Order: sequence, then structure tokens, then C-alpha cells
Amino acid sequence: MATLTRQDLNFGQVVADILCEFLEVAIHLILYVREVYPSGIFQKRKKYNVPVQMSCHPELNQYIQDTLHCIKPLIEKNEAEKVVVVIMDKEHHPVERFVFEISQPPLLSISSETLLSHVEQLLRAVILKISVCDAVLDTNPPGCTFTVLVHTRETATRNMEKVQVIKDFPWIVADEQEVHMEEAKLIPLKTMTSDILKNSSGGILD
Amino acid sequence: MSRDGWRKKASEDDGWGGRGGYMAAKICKLEEQFQKDAPREKQKDGMSSCIFSGVAIYVNGYTVPSADELRRLMMLHGGQFHLYYTRSKTTHIIATNLPNNKIQELKGEKVVRPEWITDSIKAGCQLSYIQYQLYTKQKGLSFASVCAQGGQDPSFSHGPSKPSTSHPQSHSLKPSHTQTLSKEVLKSTHANHTANVTDRTNHQLDIKLNGITSEEDAERPRVNGIHDGDDDDNACVLLPRGSQDTSLTNGYVHPVNGALKPQDLVSFAEHRPHVVDTGSLQSHLPQAGCWDREEPSCSSAGSKANSHQTSLMSTTSPAKKPDTHNMQKELHPEPTSNPGTSAAPQKGNQTRVPLNGSYHMTPNSFILANSSNQSGSSTAQGAEAGIISEFFSHSRLHHISTWRNEFSEYVNSLQSRRRVAGGAVFSGKEKLKKLKANCSSGSLMAAPQVRQSCILHVDMDCFFVSVGIRHRPDLTGKPVAVTSNRGPGRVAQRPGANPQLEFQYYQRKQKQYRNEKTDNDLEMTPSPQCDEGPSNGVDLDLAALSMAEIASCSYEARQAGVRNGMFFGRAKQLCPDLQPVPYDFQAYKEVALTLYETLASYTHNIEALSCDEALVDATALLVELGVTPDDLARAIREDIKEKTGCSASVGMSSNILLARMATRKAKPNGQYFLRSEDVDDFIRDQPVSSLPGVGRSMNSKLTSLGVSTCGDLQQLSMSRLQKEFGPRTGQTLFRFCRGLDDRPVCSEKERKSVSAEMNYNIRFTQVEEAESFLTNLSMEVQKRLEGAGLRGRRVTLKVMVRKAGAPIEPAKYGGHGICDNFARSVLLAQPTDNGHLIAAEAIKLFRAMKLHVKDMRGVGLQVQQLEGPHADPSGQGASRGRSIKDLLQARQPALSPRKEPLAQDGLTSPSSSRAFSSNQERVTAPSSPPSTSSDPMPGTSKGEFHHPRTPNHVRACLNISIEVPSPSQVDLSVLEALPVDIRKQVEQSWRHREEQPSTSSHLSTPPRTSSPPPAPSLGTLVLQLPNQPGQPCTTGIILELPDFSQVDPDVFAALPRELQEELCSAYRNKGNAQAQGTTVEQKQTFPQLKQPAVGKLKRRYKKRNASPAKKGPSPLKKLFPGNSPAKSSPSKSIPLPLKQQGLKTENVQCPSSPSIDVPETLSKLNPRPVPALAGAYEFSDIRTLLREWVTTISEPMEEDILQVVKYCTELVDDKDLEKLDLVIKYMKRLMQQSSESVWSMAFDFILDNVQVVVQQTYGSTLKIT
Repeated sequence: MATLTRQDLNFGQVVADILCEFLEVAIHLILYVREVYPSGIFQKRKKYNVPVQMSCHPELNQYIQDTLHCIKPLIEKNEAEKVVVVIMDKEHHPVERFVFEISQPPLLSISSETLLSHVEQLLRAVILKISVCDAVLDTNPPGCTFTVLVHTRETATRNMEKVQVIKDFPWIVADEQEVHMEEAKLIPLKTMTSDILKNSSGGILD
Repeated sequence: MSRDGWRKKASEDDGWGGRGGYMAAKICKLEEQFQKDAPREKQKDGMSSCIFSGVAIYVNGYTVPSADELRRLMMLHGGQFHLYYTRSKTTHIIATNLPNNKIQELKGEKVVRPEWITDSIKAGCQLSYIQYQLYTKQKGLSFASVCAQGGQDPSFSHGPSKPSTSHPQSHSLKPSHTQTLSKEVLKSTHANHTANVTDRTNHQLDIKLNGITSEEDAERPRVNGIHDGDDDDNACVLLPRGSQDTSLTNGYVHPVNGALKPQDLVSFAEHRPHVVDTGSLQSHLPQAGCWDREEPSCSSAGSKANSHQTSLMSTTSPAKKPDTHNMQKELHPEPTSNPGTSAAPQKGNQTRVPLNGSYHMTPNSFILANSSNQSGSSTAQGAEAGIISEFFSHSRLHHISTWRNEFSEYVNSLQSRRRVAGGAVFSGKEKLKKLKANCSSGSLMAAPQVRQSCILHVDMDCFFVSVGIRHRPDLTGKPVAVTSNRGPGRVAQRPGANPQLEFQYYQRKQKQYRNEKTDNDLEMTPSPQCDEGPSNGVDLDLAALSMAEIASCSYEARQAGVRNGMFFGRAKQLCPDLQPVPYDFQAYKEVALTLYETLASYTHNIEALSCDEALVDATALLVELGVTPDDLARAIREDIKEKTGCSASVGMSSNILLARMATRKAKPNGQYFLRSEDVDDFIRDQPVSSLPGVGRSMNSKLTSLGVSTCGDLQQLSMSRLQKEFGPRTGQTLFRFCRGLDDRPVCSEKERKSVSAEMNYNIRFTQVEEAESFLTNLSMEVQKRLEGAGLRGRRVTLKVMVRKAGAPIEPAKYGGHGICDNFARSVLLAQPTDNGHLIAAEAIKLFRAMKLHVKDMRGVGLQVQQLEGPHADPSGQGASRGRSIKDLLQARQPALSPRKEPLAQDGLTSPSSSRAFSSNQERVTAPSSPPSTSSDPMPGTSKGEFHHPRTPNHVRACLNISIEVPSPSQVDLSVLEALPVDIRKQVEQSWRHREEQPSTSSHLSTPPRTSSPPPAPSLGTLVLQLPNQPGQPCTTGIILELPDFSQVDPDVFAALPRELQEELCSAYRNKGNAQAQGTTVEQKQTFPQLKQPAVGKLKRRYKKRNASPAKKGPSPLKKLFPGNSPAKSSPSKSIPLPLKQQGLKTENVQCPSSPSIDVPETLSKLNPRPVPALAGAYEFSDIRTLLREWVTTISEPMEEDILQVVKYCTELVDDKDLEKLDLVIKYMKRLMQQSSESVWSMAFDFILDNVQVVVQQTYGSTLKIT
């Protein structure tokens, strides 16, 4: 069995691919579950062998894709610490944050064949948790919007400014207003640990 | 006329601009011509008026008076006639026929039939065009309408003259006169056009109609608030053509008349037949609106009368104002009596008389009369405390169900009493025996002995009624119904209620159940909507009637069609003489008790089916007495009649099924013995619905299979039945329809669940109310559980929530209406009968459901998975202290009474070892008698401590915590002094112990290598409960036996023999158990090494599994908590210095042990250690650990708490918030449930610390719900 290590060229990419794919599913699902967009624009799809909701609004999809496309290099280099989906009310005060904490083990290797299915199982568990998270969350006010924040290392931010992965899709440093939530409460949703990455997601709300 | 003028005209013709100036000019000219011709025409005709001033008509197509004629008429009567349609000027379009696209085009215009003009001229005034409209916007609606017009001229309005009822043309009712009306038209235009016109007239007419004199004027505004604004409604009477229209009518009329209520209309629909049946009235009804048209010669006075007539119609309609009806009722105390009575004051108006009479037959007149009754009987809302017990004390269903249990209990107790007494006196049997002896020469003797089994089914005849009237002979033979309603059976409509909707809902539902109606299920399905209804109207009419259910009705009432479960109002309609009798639960109970006593005087083989119904297995009795079943039944019935004053029916046959069927035949007040040879014939004709288990849905299913009787059912094969109904039901049906039933008469039945449910009068406004209600309900459940002596593990919360769209206020007062049912249940860790516990769970469930409290209509709490007070003591999850006690009791029932004194003995014995016994209360439940367990510390197990400590060890045995010190710790002289057998056992236990370290250090091979223990370790025994192998962590009991050498032989000898035996066997078993214990620990991959310094049992348990990472600091930590006064119970006054000394020495003794372990295990761990609590890192293990901690110890120790906090902090560091969340929630549940407030404080402390860490790490705190 060939053993891949982080030094191998495609290792980081594999992880990033898996993770970005997951994040895409998760963001769509969050937008659906938290009713940021009308449920009419969502279609039921199957991912990780469970039903998920995916938007079929082309612009929204493009936005999410672009976002993740930009995040992917960060994940590849293990420079992203958290990906946060912030749901904001009309006044752009965050009401909820879905935090995906990503930590990749420093010394890890992919060795087994069953790895992918194992990871899939774990990701599925996270997805399922997201899909039922409205049970523990309060209903959002109407007219919410969302944004995606990435917590990176300092160098990564600078690099991002230098190189725009997608043209005309620049990242900006988030406003304090968008990040800060007063008296926030944390609701852990799911933690998954696998050989290649560790990911814990939690919802934070006022 | 200038061109400018044309232009101007043209521009005015909006939308018709394409016509150009020419058309405008032409129209202008025509208008001029018309104006010129008009005076001429008027002169010619001789009669003219200004009826149509302001009206401009346009005739479209063929009309009956031709367009020319209409033009002439318009000239004569001051109107305008347009040859070309002008939207702005033309007010009315006259047509009899319009193509569809024209209709579309003219939408919003007034398209009127030409009769409008002719009729108006006849009437001498401009009539409302509404009823002459050509089309309606909703084509599907086809309401026949008869609309009345008010006279325009006030001078006419009081005219008493009337058209002859035998008018020659009155029969020629044209279909066109029954018009279709559109809702919009009614709503918008009708009111505008006729309000002013009809106001006075109708007022007058009402007075006439009701035969009310001047005081009526004062009364009317009171009862009829709509008098001014809405009086025009009187001008419109809707006669629904059939039941099909009724529902539509509802929505249709409502907007028009605020006071008009749906059910009024509905009831009118039902009563229309009455109206029609009233002889001469028949012809008037539909014609009232068309007299004007039919009677060209009619004078204006005549038309006036006509308008009277129609107004009369309108008020006559029950669809009008209930208030007016009510008024009517007050005026006519005998509403259903001969219409002639009300006719008297209305001389000269024949038509009104029958109308009035028929009017009185409408049912709505009772509303106010009953409202007082309603308010009187209204009870407190469900939210109020104490309502529950009140509710249950009034609930017939509750009583019935509890009685059933009570009588089952009664029978049980009878039987057990008999068992104890070794036989009972059967007075009834004796009597019968005597009787038989007396007539031994008679026919009785000749009766063939029935050897086969004989079941008697004893059923009181309409129990509630016969009890209710047993002291009221005046009611005997009269139709009587037991119900809570005491009024005439009518109730006022409450705001928010929409009974019609509910009925429709139920009817739809009902239709789903059965494709075709079978009358047979009437008895089986007491729900009101299943009572036969000749038309929808009848059923719907119930809405206005009392919704009090009839619990029972006499046979006289049943003859009139009244059924049990019917609503009283409906029943009263069917049977006007029906006498309501209130509930008398005390009397029912008395009578039922008498019944059972009577039965018990014959035999004890009784199965209580309900309070008035029992099965008696008379097989043995008959054989013994040698009488026929009939004789027995007669004797029983006479007995019952004599003792209770109520009659009973008895069905007899060879099995339960047939006996019950025979009772049906026996009723009322009879008996029937279904002989086995007659069974086939008998059962063939029985409806399937009489079989037990065949309810409404199954009946409908069977009906769809073409089965209505058991005979039909017999034709179906078993396989077919099983295919249709499932294997079990199919087989049962197959047997039942052949009269086969092998169910025994079982006098003892096990209870499956205990519950309390309340679906009446649940109207919460706040969540707190609902929660306090749940608490109260839980207390009720507790009461019942205690009453039954049971505890349950599963708590189910059932909630009825108003179905979306259902009316806020159900038809039945305080009822639940149409609801969605929700149920959630939770499994408790241990069976309980504690109401507070149940309430806590129920409230949790309730919160999880996130319901809208205002929509809650019913709440039920059910406790299942019941256990007797001592059943299954080793049951999983039973609290440790309890289970240990139970275990002992179960294993040594004889011992248990002696156990406590013994323990107290131990307490009183002076012993220095008290100093080391501080952990005792962790092992035992707080409630158990304080007894000290052995101290595990090696330092304490030195020889000099042995003897003083032994009494404690004995008690430790009781608490199943016995320790065996390691060989090195045992004074050999002591060992030698032991009896041989004991010594052997001690040695044996050492041998086992030697195996332990090896197995625990990951050696998968059997313990061949007996390596010496690296440190002095203590024998720790995980005792497996016999029935729970393999789960030591969750159910096993940690049993730490002291080394046998530590047992004082004197004390041992003084023990009861049973205890001695148990101790011995415990020592014998120790080896096995130890092996098992180690396997568990192997799973956790931690060496089975004892910390010598472990001061507490609990700690030892933890320590044994403790991860090396924790071992470093913990022994030090543990020293001091060990001394903390909080730990040792106040009863033990310990010389602290001694204790400390002991601990310290021991600590010095074995400093090496941790260091030995650490490297070994560390190497096995991941580079980054997984956070672990006392070695456990799997969540299930953590949970077990925590549960053990909380349930076994009454007061948590600071140091243990810190451990938990540390673990939680590690989890945060590890970013495993999910597990942290679970752990915290689990602890919250555990600790807040605990009776000790210390635990709650402990949890708060833990939580605070964890939150600080989480806040630091994540910037926000955990949400703990």
C-alpha cells in the first residue's frame, strides 16, 4: 500500500478537496436549515449517502463556490484555522455563527484504503448534526444574510492579498462588528477526528 | 351641435374611443330623441312615474318585453334608454341571455333581467336589482334565493293587506325566479341598495310576524344589534336546495350578516322539510319573492303586502338571527306546539301563521335559555391548580377505568384471601345449594350435567341509568339518559367555535373509514358523527345542541334512537321526553361493589371487565352444585336485583366470546344460554362488529370485503384473513367468527402502564401554566403508581395540539376539538414512582416539543415498563444503593430483617478503624445505615489493625465492599490462627490476585507468568451479578472483600449462618470475578495497578483505571481530601492525626509504583494524549464513571470535582466540544437530579470553571440547556 505523506504533492490537495466539498454541502445546508434563503430555491440531493439540501440559485452557488475556491489553497497549506458561516440580521449584526474548526495533524499519513469511506462517515455525521441543529437554535429574525469568514494565519492573509485566486473576488478583513457577538453562547454540534483532519463544528449564537 | 361637442363626447367614451366622433354624435342625438319622446309617451299611456329616475338601461339581445317596450317603459317611468352601451352612463344592462365572453366583458356591470323593470313598475318602486341579476360570478353556486324588497314609500309600509294565499298564479313558479346570487353582489351592492329602503318595513314586519306588540320595539334592538345597519339582510332569504349546498351556504352568508351564524343556516337546512310540510305554507315559501312579477294588476298596496310577505320569509328563516329566534322562544313557551297559537294575534294574515308555526319548530330558539346553564356548569380552566383532581373526580371515563382496576384488585384480593384462609364461605353458593336441595325432586335434578366449561357474562342493564334511577321510581319506564347536561339540550354558540368545520372534518374522516354505512356499528362507535344522519343537515345541526355526551340511556330511550355516547342535544331531538339524570359516581361504586360481592358469593373465578360487567367461570361451580347454567344465572340475577335494585343480564356459553354475545341477546334484563349445539346457527347471524377487536376501521375493511356477519366471515379462508389483517388478527378473526375462543377467565391481570390524561378544558396561556399543570399531573400519576404499588421506567408525554386551521374553540365546551396528537417518551435510568422526577422528565419532554401552549388541548402522562416494588432488583440502571439492598434482600430474604441491627451493632463497636472508614457513604446509598467499609490502604491493613477493624469488614461485606490485603500485608500469625478452611480461601484469593497484574498488563495469554506485584496491592473484586455478565462497568457491583485474614473469626462465627455462607461463597467467587474485572480494564488499556494511597473506595475504582498522566498528582491530592471533614460523616469522630499518619506512612512506602507504570503506558498512548477522566476516554465509560460517582456518593469531594474540571478543560483544549457538551449535559442531568443540593453546587462549580475556559478559548460560553 502506497503511503502518502504531506510531502507528497497531492496530499494537501486531497484533504482540501474533501474538506471544501464538505464545506460546500454544509454551507448550503446551513442556509437551508437556518432559512436564510427561501426553501424554494433548494433542491434535495444526496451527499454522503444522506439527503442534503442544495441551492439551485446560480448566483448563490457561484458565490459559495468562489468562496471555497479561495479557501482551498489555505486549507492545502494548513493555514486556515476556522471557517465560519456567519448569519447576520438586517443590521448586519451576526446572530449565529457556524464555526468549522479545522486542524490538521502535523505528522500524518494516508495509508488505508478504507480511509475515504471512514471520512465520509464522519462527515455524514456532521452533516446530519447540521440538519437537525435548528432544534437547539432559536429561530432567526427575517431578512437574514450570511457571510463566510476564514480565520487564517497572518502570513496567509498577506498572501491572499497578493494573489487573488479568483479575479474580482477579493477577501477583506472582517469587520469587528461581523465577528463580535455579545453574550454569545456556544453549541457544539459535532467533532470528527480522522487521520487526515480534525474538524469540529459548533454553532454560536446570541 | 358643433364638432367640438363631438370630440368632447368622444373623449368621454373611455374605452370605446374607437367609435369616433360620429358615434358620440349619434348617441347624443338618440338621447335627445328619447327625451323628446318621453313626455309624449307619458301622455299616451296615462300613467307615469319616476321610478327609474337616474337609471339608464342598455338592452342587450333578446328580452321578453322587447327592447322597444322597455324603451317605452323607461320613458314612462323616468329612466334613460341607451341604444348604445356607454360604460360611464349606462347604469344597468338588460338581458336574458348573454354569451360567455360578453359576461366576461361586462364583469362588474349590473346585468339585470328585464323582469326587474316590469316588476319594479308593478311594485311602483325601483326594486333592488340584486335578485334579478342575470348571472353570478361563481357559476357553481346555485342558491335558490327569494329576496324581499322593502317598500320605498313609507306610506305603504304598514299596510296590512296581503295577497290571497290562493292566488291563481302562485303555483307557476318559474325556474328563473330562483336566482343565483353571487357572494360579491350580496356583500357589496345589496346592502347599499336596499338598506335604506327596507329598514322600516322590515322592522314593522318583524313585529307583525312575531305577534309582538309595542314592547318589541324596545326589545329588538337589545337582542338584535344589527338592526340598523344590517337590516337589509332580512330582505334576503336563502333557501339551500339541498344538503349539498349547505356547507357552501355557510361561507356565503357569513359576510352578509354579522349575526348570522353558520349553524343557524345549517339547522335551517335541516328544518326546511318541516317548513315545507306545513301545509299551505308550502306554496308560499318559494313564491314569496315573485308575487310582484306574477301579478301585474296588483296595486301598490298589494306589492306592499308582498314585501311584507317576503320580509316575513326572511325573518322566518332560521338562517336569520338567532337572537330573534330566542326572542320568539321566550314569547312562545311551547315552541313546538300548534302553530295556531301564535297565529291568534295575527288575524287577517293567513300566510304568516303557518310560517310562524314552522318557524317555531326550528331548533335555534333555545340558545339563551341554555346559556345560563352553560355558565353555571363551566369549570375552571385547565391551567388552574387542583383542576386535575377535580377533573378526574368528574370524569366518567376515569372512574370507569379506575374501577375496573379496583375491582380487578378486589377479585385478586378475594382470591388471595381465600388462599390464605384455605377456603371461603360462598353464601350465594350455599343458598343455591339449599335451593337445589329443596327442589331436588323437581326438574332441576333432571337437568343434564354440563361437563363442559361454562362462562357467565354478567352485565348490568344500562348500568348508569339503572343506578341513577333506582331511588326514583317515577322515572322507571321512561326514557332516561345519564349525562352531565341538565338543561334542555341546547347551548349558546361560543365565539371562536366552528362546530360545523369540526363535523365536516369528522365526516370526512368517517368517510375514509367506511365506504358504505353500516348501521351495525352504531353501538360500537359511540362517537356522535356515527349516529345515523338522514342528511348532513341533521348531523351538522348538532352544533347548536348540547355536546354533553350520554353515558348511558335506558332502553326506552334507545327505542327512540338514542344511543350511548350520543350528544345530549341530538338525543333530546330524537326523544323530546328524554330525562337527564346526573352522574352519581358514589352510587355507581356502591352498586358495582355489591355486584362483585354478589358474584364473589358464588365463586372467586371472576374476571372484572368493568364496573358493571364481569366474567364468571362457573364450570367448577356448576359441576359442584349440579345445577344448570340457567338456574345459576337466574339465582345470580335475582340476587343482584335484590341487593342492588338494578337488573342484570347474563349470557352463558362455553367461552368468553360466546358468553358476551349471548349477553347481547339476553338484554335487557334477561339471560341466555348459548348451547354449544346452537353456536353455529347463532353466530352466523351475528354482525362482525360484535366480535371483540372489530372496531370501526376493521369493520369498514370487512365491509369492503363484503363481510357483514360472522357467517360471511366464515367464508373467508384463514390465509385470506391473515393477508388482510396480519397473522395474529387474522387468526383471531378466523377463530372468533366460528365461536372459538380459548381465552381463559383470568382474575389477575398485570398492569402495563399507569397514566393520567386530561383532554378537557386544557387552555393554557403561558408556558408556566402548562408546566405546573404537568407537575400536578405527575403528582396524580405518582398517586396512581403508589396506589398500584408500581414503579415505571418509561415516561411518555402525550399532547394534543389544536390542528392547524381548526377552530380555536371546539364545538364541545372545554373539549379538545380537532387535534394533532404528539407523544414523546423517555427512558429513566431507574424505575420511579416519584412525581417530581416524572414531572421533571415530562417538562423536559414538553420543552423539547416546543409547542404553542395556547394550542394545547390535552395532556397525558403515562408511565410504562412497570416494576413491582421489589421486582428485578438487579435491573439495569437501578440505583446502586437500592440495587445492592434489593440484591441482598432477593438473595437472602430471610436475612434481610436481621441485617440492619447487625450493621448497627458494628457501628457501636468501638473501633479505631473508624478513622479509615470515611468513604463508606460512597458505597452505600445515603439512605442505608451508616456502616464503615474497610479501608483499602495497605498501611492500615497491618496486623495490629486487624482485630479492631473486623466488625467493619463484616459490614463491608454487607455493602459488598470487601478487600483482601496482599499477602505481604497479612500478619502470618493471624493467618495461621485462622480456621483451616478460611485460610485456604485466603490463600486461594491470593493466588487469584497474583494473576491479576499479569492479565491487566495487556497479556492476552492466560496468566501463566505469576510476576510478583510491583507494589503492595489490595484485592479488589468486581462482583458480577449473575444475570448481568459482561457489563461490569454499568451493572456490576464493585465488591471489595477484605482479605480473609482480616475477618475476625469471632465475629464471623457470630454471624448468621446465611451470612457466613455468603461470605464464603463471595470469597470463593472472588477469583472468577477478578478475572472478569480485569478484562474490562483491559479494554481500557490501563494496568490493573492499585494506588496504595487510595483512600476511598470510589477513588480506588477510579484509580484502578486511572491514566498514568493523572497518577502523578493524584496521590498527593488525595491525601488531603481524605482528611477533609466534609468527607467523613459527622457521626464518626476520628482522631485525625492517626489517620494522617497512616496515610503518610503509606505514601512513603510506595513512591515507586506510579513511576513504574507511567512509561509503560505512555508508550502506548498517542503522541497527543486523549483527554481522559480517570482513565476513561470513551464517552460511555465516562458516563458510567460519572453516574457511579454521583449515585454512590452523597457528597462530592473537591478533589474529584477538580478532576472533572481538569478533564473538561482538556476536552476544550482538544477542541472536542461535542464531547464536552455531552459530558456537561450528562453531569447536569445527574447532579441536578440528585437529592443532595451539594451535587447541584458541584455542578455549578464545574460548569463555571469550564465556561471560563471555553470563554477564553472560543470567546463565548457554552449554551447549556
